[in-house]
Amino acid sequence: MLFQWALRKKHRQKPEKRETVVPGRDQSGKAQDISQEPLHPQLEANIDMIRRTTGNSTDIVIRRVMVGQEGQHRAAVIFVDGLVDEMHVSRFLLEPLLEASFPPSFSAKETFFYIEKNLAAVGSMKQVSQWFEIFLELMSGSTIILLEDVPLALSASTKGGDYRSVEEPQSQLAIRGPRDGFTESLRTNTALIRRRIKNPNLWLETMRIGEVTQTDVAIMYIKGIVNDKIVKEVKTRLGRIKIDSVLESGYVEQLIEDQTFTTFPTIYHTERPDIVAANLLEGRVAIFIEGTPFVLVAPALFIQFFQAVEDYYARFDIATALRFLRVLVFFISLVAPAIYIAGTTFHQEMIPTLLVISIAAQREAVPFPAFVEALVMEVTFEILREAGVRLPRPIGQAVSIVGALVIGQAAVEAGFVSSAMVIVVSITAIASFATPSFAIAISARLIRFALMFLAAMFGFYGIIMGILAMAIHLCSLRTFGVPYMSPLAPFIPSNIGDTLFRVPTWAFKERPRLINQKNISRQGENLRPQPPDPARQDEGDPS
Amino acid sequence: MKGKICIVVLLLLCLTMLSGCWSKKELTDLAFVIAVGIDKTKEGQYVTTYQVVNPGNVAGAKQIGGGASGVPISIFISTGDNLFEASRKASKKMSRLLYFAHTNLVVIGEGMAREGIGGLLDVLERSNQFRTTAKVIIAHHHSAEEVLKVLTPIDKISANQIIKTLEFSERTWGQTINTDVWKMIHDIASSGKHPVASGVDLIGSVEKGQRLTNVQVSEPDARLNLDDLALFKDDKLVSWVSGEAARGVLWVLDKIKQTGVTIEWNGKKEAVGYKVIRTKTEVVPHLKHGKPSISIDIRAEGDIAEAPVPIDLADVKQVFALEKMIQHNIKKEVLEAVKKAQQEKIDVFGFGDAVYRSYPEEWKKMENKWHEHFFPQLPVTVTVDAFIRRTGLRNKPYQFGR
Repeated sequence: MLFQWALRKKHRQKPEKRETVVPGRDQSGKAQDISQEPLHPQLEANIDMIRRTTGNSTDIVIRRVMVGQEGQHRAAVIFVDGLVDEMHVSRFLLEPLLEASFPPSFSAKETFFYIEKNLAAVGSMKQVSQWFEIFLELMSGSTIILLEDVPLALSASTKGGDYRSVEEPQSQLAIRGPRDGFTESLRTNTALIRRRIKNPNLWLETMRIGEVTQTDVAIMYIKGIVNDKIVKEVKTRLGRIKIDSVLESGYVEQLIEDQTFTTFPTIYHTERPDIVAANLLEGRVAIFIEGTPFVLVAPALFIQFFQAVEDYYARFDIATALRFLRVLVFFISLVAPAIYIAGTTFHQEMIPTLLVISIAAQREAVPFPAFVEALVMEVTFEILREAGVRLPRPIGQAVSIVGALVIGQAAVEAGFVSSAMVIVVSITAIASFATPSFAIAISARLIRFALMFLAAMFGFYGIIMGILAMAIHLCSLRTFGVPYMSPLAPFIPSNIGDTLFRVPTWAFKERPRLINQKNISRQGENLRPQPPDPARQDEGDPS
Repeated sequence: MKGKICIVVLLLLCLTMLSGCWSKKELTDLAFVIAVGIDKTKEGQYVTTYQVVNPGNVAGAKQIGGGASGVPISIFISTGDNLFEASRKASKKMSRLLYFAHTNLVVIGEGMAREGIGGLLDVLERSNQFRTTAKVIIAHHHSAEEVLKVLTPIDKISANQIIKTLEFSERTWGQTINTDVWKMIHDIASSGKHPVASGVDLIGSVEKGQRLTNVQVSEPDARLNLDDLALFKDDKLVSWVSGEAARGVLWVLDKIKQTGVTIEWNGKKEAVGYKVIRTKTEVVPHLKHGKPSISIDIRAEGDIAEAPVPIDLADVKQVFALEKMIQHNIKKEVLEAVKKAQQEKIDVFGFGDAVYRSYPEEWKKMENKWHEHFFPQLPVTVTVDAFIRRTGLRNKPYQFGR
């Protein structure tokens, strides 16, 4: 009894030739083969089949009913408890099925079609005849109706069950802006976007990824704005995935990103529907994955990680000031400890006299070289942060108190570290929290240590070398074919208004150019607010 | 293949790890020399005095490992045939490396200055650590060593005390000049200007001044006090000017920012105080029949600070008369300074430079004879335009009716 869950073949491109198949080794990552075989005419045989295949799982509900004028036809209604809306099943499937008056002397087949056409009061209804299809429908929350003597099954869409409701996103907060966030339900998530962009050009394509998990993955884009090449590229990359499970969007992200060996994220992820909508309108592609509130957006540019959602809701001057602050903050979180090390071990002449004396006074009793001191403090802080993130919330507070005491006071009083170092570590920490995107803040965290090593070996020279290397690396990155550093490198003047600055909204004339995009005009001309023309006002004034 | 890559990576790591850090110096291995004093022994050897900061004892430093109980500075003295030798010899007495990047003050002993300072500035300019923005001051009546030994109250590091005093005194009183090493070198090298620097005097005894008790009393036993201006002929200290003549020098050099001028009124000496708040001096050289002359044009603007005499400041005539008196006073100060300099044949004003800038061709002929021949006989005309901007918050003095 080897059936095949062959659906994956529909979405998979032909296997590439260089792939070598090792005989005797299952490469597809699937759990158990279910070969293609049609349904058996006998109801009991079919039920038995379902039972055996699912290992008699207790959440599979098999309700036997008698239908027809005299109840002469035996039938079974099968669904997975918890995945379906039970009210729905009983009100719109079971009730009509049991109480309907069938025309007399209907054969089994006629009854089957009668049920499909006239009885089932659900949104979507379809016939299925293959086992793999039946199981897929069943596991996705549909209800299967089987009838004696009919080698066909009816699948009624009764998806339901409990999901987390739409709540305020936890990872990206905004003072001003919508409060809804994505949930674990793919359908809810796509609806949140549809509600924002009421346009038939908002296209959605769905596929299943994961041999075992059969996870729904949807890609969304706005036809006409998006660059078709990028859509094609996204689809190709998704189609290439051959993995047993997709439990979070991170799985997909890591399988489709351009460059694995970089600390910088080349795909953006967000919990906020307004961000996704804005990105779709800029011509990007969103990838939704069932079971996670994090939606992927590709291609993601470097500067995008500094654009907080509120930049676009607040007025431009404030937004620009905050942008500058964020870039500054990113640099601080990158180089602050490195500068401290370089300054105190190589370039004492560059520190103002009184400050260097003050630092020297603090370091007088510290037994370690500046680099070791900085390393110990940074590592301690990373440990604290990691502990704080993983711990249950009530204990997390205790950790932060202990941490504050240990790093802040005890270490200084014991003379292990200087208070200047504590200040540097705290500024670095606060700076890395102030970076709007966690994804880029974490890469700065990693690079910081490399820069600290360089600073300890070569001083400022080393820091500059490190930053240059980082800049070169950043410029070499691509995200779905788009240069990662655009519009800064390559320099695109018309897009520069949304990088370090944020120009007034009426000046956002063009969408970001992502490879040969044609539809770049975002808004009409002369949107700049004008004071009312006094002459016209006189004419139109009714009073 | 993999092994080869590993070896290459390892070699690269060795390259960076082993060659890196060569210039590394920890803060705790450095002795921050905040001031250098230079004297000369009778045998002609240099005596250098290093005022080194003792970081643990500087106020403001956290009280870890010792506490701020000791003295904030420490003095190391070393002798040598040249300054470099002396500085290296000092390492015998010191547990740390002498670090000159934060040396902000050079004190030159009077005896040394009289012999000539030309040579000693070379090492300061040449060193890659030393900054030529360090201030220069001449120890008056004392050796540089003695000056640097004194502990000062408010600014714990006495070098900082001297530097700040130099800065603020020039800005608010204008009888001392804030000169740095670079400026000294420039003036020594220049053919049309002589250097000038401030002197610092020590009031009280060195013996008491170098003890911590000096800063534990409200009136220190020994104090540092800026006084006269040292006039140099080329690189040799020749004479001192003090008081109003010293301010006259600064008027000509356009260094006055604010100062106070006291004027006579109705026969009463030192009656009205005039607070200069803004001033500008222009030195214009003229050349007639090969004979140079200089006109100095001073424009001053200020307020009445004090007027305990019967005067009605609402009366324009009286104010004009007052302005006249002010102009007269300033002119007197300037002429006094010029006279003194001409007597000594020291062109600290840079009149020669001014002539050179305006008449470069003729200057070549005068250059060699400038200080001996032309400068002492140079006709100098001074015009002062003083202006009373405000009279303070009162018109008539309260003593003399309303």
